Amino acid sequence: MFDGEKFITKTVPTLQEDIKDKALIAFSGGVDSTVCTALVNKAIGNRLIAVHVDTGYMRKNEPGNVKKMMKEMGLNFRFIDASKEFYDALKGVEDPEKKRKIIGEKFIRIFEKVAKKEKIEYLVQGTIAPDWIESGDELRDTIKSHHNVGGLPETMHLKLVEPLRDLYKDEVRKVARVLGLKVSERQPFPGPGLAVRIIGEATPERTKIVREACDIVEKEIENAVEKKLMEKPWQYFAVLIPIKTVGVQGDKRAYGYTIAIRAVQSVDAMTCKYSDIPHTVLDTISTKITNALGDKINRIVYDVTNKPPGTVEWE
Amino acid sequence: MVRIYVIDNGGQWTHREWRTLRDLDVDTKIVPNTTAFQDLSNEEIDGLVLSGGAPRIGLEDNPGNCAEYLEKAEFPILGICAGHQFMARFFGGAVEPSEIPEFGKIELVLLTANESLFEGVSKKSIVWESHNDEVIRLPKDFEILGESKNCKIQAMRHKKKQLYGLQFHPEVEHTEYGEQIFKNFVKLCEK
Repeated sequence: MFDGEKFITKTVPTLQEDIKDKALIAFSGGVDSTVCTALVNKAIGNRLIAVHVDTGYMRKNEPGNVKKMMKEMGLNFRFIDASKEFYDALKGVEDPEKKRKIIGEKFIRIFEKVAKKEKIEYLVQGTIAPDWIESGDELRDTIKSHHNVGGLPETMHLKLVEPLRDLYKDEVRKVARVLGLKVSERQPFPGPGLAVRIIGEATPERTKIVREACDIVEKEIENAVEKKLMEKPWQYFAVLIPIKTVGVQGDKRAYGYTIAIRAVQSVDAMTCKYSDIPHTVLDTISTKITNALGDKINRIVYDVTNKPPGTVEWE
Repeated sequence: MVRIYVIDNGGQWTHREWRTLRDLDVDTKIVPNTTAFQDLSNEEIDGLVLSGGAPRIGLEDNPGNCAEYLEKAEFPILGICAGHQFMARFFGGAVEPSEIPEFGKIELVLLTANESLFEGVSKKSIVWESHNDEVIRLPKDFEILGESKNCKIQAMRHKKKQLYGLQFHPEVEHTEYGEQIFKNFVKLCEK
């Protein structure tokens, strides 16, 4: 059985040996990159520089939370607001693979800029097993290009260090618990962020809509879990489907987009069952989203697909 | 410590097979399917898992040296999905695109009560599937161990040798008795 403590004891010296100089870690604030940061920090101390990139596709209040976390962890950190850059790069892009690749490359170019300025040679990433498995290789089909693997540009100037490559999320959580990290139970959030929760073009306007909807889904589900109305899902969020349907709001014809509610049970994301959300909870979510988003959203649907055949995120 | 390697045919769950074995304290690693049989033999392995594969590999391709393993091995082999399909083809069975492919949750029905690979597994149980092709004709010397509504050869074994094929995926979390099946396979390899 996987033992978090043993993993740490084995990994830290290896990292000390592998990273000879300064290193930069891509810090999103999720479980994987936070665990990775704590490990590398143990190994090389403040030679590690944590870089958080605000892509503009973050969850509600996330930039503030991440900043706070980096401070609490006592990290040597840089916070880069690149939202405008990301919005520009994704303008007119509808294909999910293109989106992921553009985002992956943008991340790397930003890291390279920081690295050049601060003379850093190594890039540490919190890549875990499903990231490289689903990104495909000579043998394996590409299910989706994870931004940190399949989204890496062909030429890059940083040496990659990925200490969590063989781990699945449940194992990363075990390591997080041993390290006493608060993020250990946090739900996963994709690197490309809300951009892959908007089907089609991920415009700033649509991002605002899906951000609000995600926030409502998260809060209501967490509330329901606390009241023991349902089991805690592995992941839970909203997806914006840019298909307009007819509704009626305040005696007036409405013609707005659709939101899908997605929640799944899993331990490792390699297979998933859709979560059994009670109808009363779905009802609250539906009403809150349509009321909060006015004429933008007038239809809510519930995704009841397992993986396979679906994946967790829609893109 | 029993040593069972996982032959990588490019499946999405190859690494999960490795993980399941490792969690059972098996000495295991993932090896490319181009590894020569002699090299595996030199490492004194006690068993092999032939992983699932990239799209359609079970249907028509030759997955690396899997043929050589099936021909020469004297230890147990467990073929999963494409590994199972290739096992059937190698021994003279037939594989075709499924009339009704299966993805996700399916009910497996066991057809025999005395099979060590399924010790402790209920006659009916939930398994997870992901296949476009399937074995439609059993090879000579093989018998069917389990079926589902839309796939008649979900599990098979060689009548004399310890060669097993499973269309479903025992390595994933949502297969009800997945870990039990792996435990049983490990036991077979220990003998």
